[in-house]
Amino acid sequence: MKFQKELKDSIRKALPELDVVIGWCGSFDPLHATPHFIRREEDIEKLEIGPLSVHNLATYLPGLRGKKVGIVVKGCDSRSVIELLQEKLIARDDITIFGFPCTGVVDQAKIKKALGYVGNVESCDMSDKSVVIVAAGKAHSLELSDVLADKCHSCRYPDAIISDIFVGDKSGEAVPAPADYEALATFENLSLPDRFGFWLKELDRCIRCYACRSACPLCVCRDHCAAESREPHWLSQENNVRDKLMFQVIHAYHLAGRCTECGECQRACPVDIPVLMLKQKMNKEIRDIFKYEAGVDPEETPPLLSFKMEEENITEKDW
Amino acid sequence: MKIGVFVCHCGSNIEATVDTAAVAAAAREFPGVVFATDTMYTCSEPGQDEIVEAIKEHNLGGVVVASCTPRMHEQTFRRTVERAGLNKYLFEMANIREHVSWIGKDREANTNKSVDLVRMATEKLMRNRALHPKKFTINKRVLVIGGGVAGIQAALDCADGGLEVVLVEKTTTIGGKMAKLDKTFPTVDCSSCILGPRMVDVAQHPNITLYAYAEIEEINGYVGNFEIKVKKKATYVDWKNCTGCGICMDKCPSKKARDTFNEEIGFTKAINIPFPQAIPKKAKIDPEFCTMLKKGKCGVCAKVCPSGCIDYEMKDEFVTEKVGAIVTATGFDLFDWTVYGEYGGGRYPDVITSLQYERMLSASGPTGGHIKRPSDGKEPKNVVFIQCVGSRDKSVGRPYCTGFCCMYTAKQAILTKDHLPLSQSYVFYMDIRATGKLYDEFTRRAMEEYDTNYIRGRVSMIYPKGDKLLVRGADTLMGTQVEVDADLVVLAVGAEASAGASGLAEKLRISYDSYGFYMEGHPKLKPVETNTAGVYLAGACQGPKDIPSSVAQGSAAASKVLGLFSKDQLESDPQVSMVDIKRCIGCGKCIQTCPFGAIKEIDFRGMAKADVIETICQGCGICTSTCPQGAIQLQHATDNQILSEVNALCQF
Repeated sequence: MKFQKELKDSIRKALPELDVVIGWCGSFDPLHATPHFIRREEDIEKLEIGPLSVHNLATYLPGLRGKKVGIVVKGCDSRSVIELLQEKLIARDDITIFGFPCTGVVDQAKIKKALGYVGNVESCDMSDKSVVIVAAGKAHSLELSDVLADKCHSCRYPDAIISDIFVGDKSGEAVPAPADYEALATFENLSLPDRFGFWLKELDRCIRCYACRSACPLCVCRDHCAAESREPHWLSQENNVRDKLMFQVIHAYHLAGRCTECGECQRACPVDIPVLMLKQKMNKEIRDIFKYEAGVDPEETPPLLSFKMEEENITEKDW
Repeated sequence: MKIGVFVCHCGSNIEATVDTAAVAAAAREFPGVVFATDTMYTCSEPGQDEIVEAIKEHNLGGVVVASCTPRMHEQTFRRTVERAGLNKYLFEMANIREHVSWIGKDREANTNKSVDLVRMATEKLMRNRALHPKKFTINKRVLVIGGGVAGIQAALDCADGGLEVVLVEKTTTIGGKMAKLDKTFPTVDCSSCILGPRMVDVAQHPNITLYAYAEIEEINGYVGNFEIKVKKKATYVDWKNCTGCGICMDKCPSKKARDTFNEEIGFTKAINIPFPQAIPKKAKIDPEFCTMLKKGKCGVCAKVCPSGCIDYEMKDEFVTEKVGAIVTATGFDLFDWTVYGEYGGGRYPDVITSLQYERMLSASGPTGGHIKRPSDGKEPKNVVFIQCVGSRDKSVGRPYCTGFCCMYTAKQAILTKDHLPLSQSYVFYMDIRATGKLYDEFTRRAMEEYDTNYIRGRVSMIYPKGDKLLVRGADTLMGTQVEVDADLVVLAVGAEASAGASGLAEKLRISYDSYGFYMEGHPKLKPVETNTAGVYLAGACQGPKDIPSSVAQGSAAASKVLGLFSKDQLESDPQVSMVDIKRCIGCGKCIQTCPFGAIKEIDFRGMAKADVIETICQGCGICTSTCPQGAIQLQHATDNQILSEVNALCQF
């Protein structure tokens, strides 16, 4: 990446004032990246950003409350930071945000689906258009656009919306078009039994690992999640699909009007359940009723976290 | 917990469509239930005694009564279980009357549904905890909002009962609608002669603080401890020194100001005192018409005022009053009759409202008590009264009967004959509603002694004919068309909720009906209470009312306040939210959503936590549905209690 050096220089400059800067670095094989916690000068060189920088690092921020934290964010990650700021779960003075123009990240599930098991990955070469993966002595070539995450295809905020230091050139100041939720609309056209059947089928393979919850930057209840509590006792620990579905519904409700659709829940899911769709549905409703999009303006109050005597678009008197 | 279940017949109210014995039999099989029976009237003394005996005999830890709505008898039964030595919150009610027997006829289905409701109640009861109310001291002052006859009565009764009263009136004088009336039915005594002394009493009573030309800006707090922010609107006259001499009003050159007191029959001055008996008798400048305030030129009133109290720089002022109870007596407004195209929609000057006519009849009114047509000032000969203008008419969204128009129309017909013996009055009516003491006799008198021509039917059209108005209508008793050449048409305009009633209701946290009238606690048994503790209603704000009823309600509200203040301390309702400090992560979402400001952030060993102020919490539960980790729970409706009810109902 062109601006990687510029980014490293600005981190180097800021690091003395910070406890930690969170970015990405290489992982167990060349096809994967992993979150990288920069505490010392020598950690900086390992920093790598690019299409493999899939993780939303904002997830770590509430846990580091009280520390001086630097964070490298993509456009979508920056919206999570904004949402955390809105909800006063992090303090603006404590964080330093490094933004860059993101050109999209890959979806590992799509690569896995395209290539199947290819053995040990020896190298991975990413250009603007293509991905060339060498594994077990054999080269595999893929179109980058075929393996980009879904959210990147319809990305409306490629640049960090909020940042203290922005490296590289902004990809444009254009006012983003409203989200269209096309795929969701197709799903919604199905009959109720079909939709319910879909979820029962998908969630049947859920192993209740709660990776979706752990990856979510806005799941902030820490060890007080309703999923494992007896007081209140919303969910049983029985192995049945209804309790699994119930958890996803609770998750979606807790995120209504807060979720920025970063897609970490779905990305983290080891059994590829399309759980993001539930949150998109809630966001679509919030957008239609409250004309609100989460994670855009740090000064806004999410509509469900305020009390109004009369809502503009809910006319209870006509019910 | 050993549970006892009592299934009430409610005479035949429930028993007719629910097999109560079968419900009791089914309840005996529920976990925890050791005793179940059906009783004729559980709320009666023998019914309650049966509960007390069962608690003692079977050593019950909680009681379920399946009967009517908790709004009706929850308090009754809570006292019953308390009498037997249980905590009163170890009681649950299943509503099998309003929710079952009254709404369905299928006995089997009703019985099954009743069993379900009783099962839910027992499951919830099993998770009930004993709750204990806290005591708090109260401020024995009362706020009365609105200085019409109902508010005056409430204020005087409270003040005579020894309470300090704060009376807030929107206009510059108290008196309300009654002060505008010439005479009152059915005695035809002078309105200002009977109201005037009461108004003077208000002004002179040592216990009453009057804020005229003021409005309620903000209401905080709860029963016993309200904090009221009152906005004293700028009058541009220093009322401390104004003597009400009226010289300013005489000399003011701006003569086209809106005369709201006289219902805009004529005009008044830009600085004015609305009428001679005004309380307080103080002048006020209308900034919309004062040339000094608009253009900075004039200043005549400041020059002539002998006590130098004109202040063109005056600003709105805010005062805070602390009170323990509030009486709302905000009255009514008149329906805007101009929606009726058939009556001219406001185009004909000689079609006026009944209240305008009333001002015309009044000796202190703009015509000095002479009946004159607004168009040419001539005395009318034929006067047509049209009743039910904006009453009992679904097409204009006013299906209700205003109730007092029949009476004042009869009165106005009588007064017309008194003023103009050669005149002839016609009244177009739908039905005569004269149900008060001496009321029907009064309307008969208008017909028989005063020769008023009552025509049963609606007017279809009014249109000008020369200098007269042709009123065309139906006479449904004769089955004919009627045409009357009228010199003056008086519309008996109905009452509607006063402008701003809904805004005040929101500040008071009371509810109002679809017409904007305030909702009483119970239509029969709690006519002056609201569902907000410490807030009472008086007069037409609760629904159209004539003077005797308004006065009666004013006194009733005062007696409720005096009853409330007979104790030095009140008990707070323990059915409020509470924070489980272990689960709370201090995100403050509950603080943001609480409509009552009942939750504050506290510091607990260096961590932010939420804390509920019990006396302010109303138990609405918005916080409990906001908190993602379930750390805040309503004490008498926890998530687990609701879930157990759901599980009792949806057994899959």
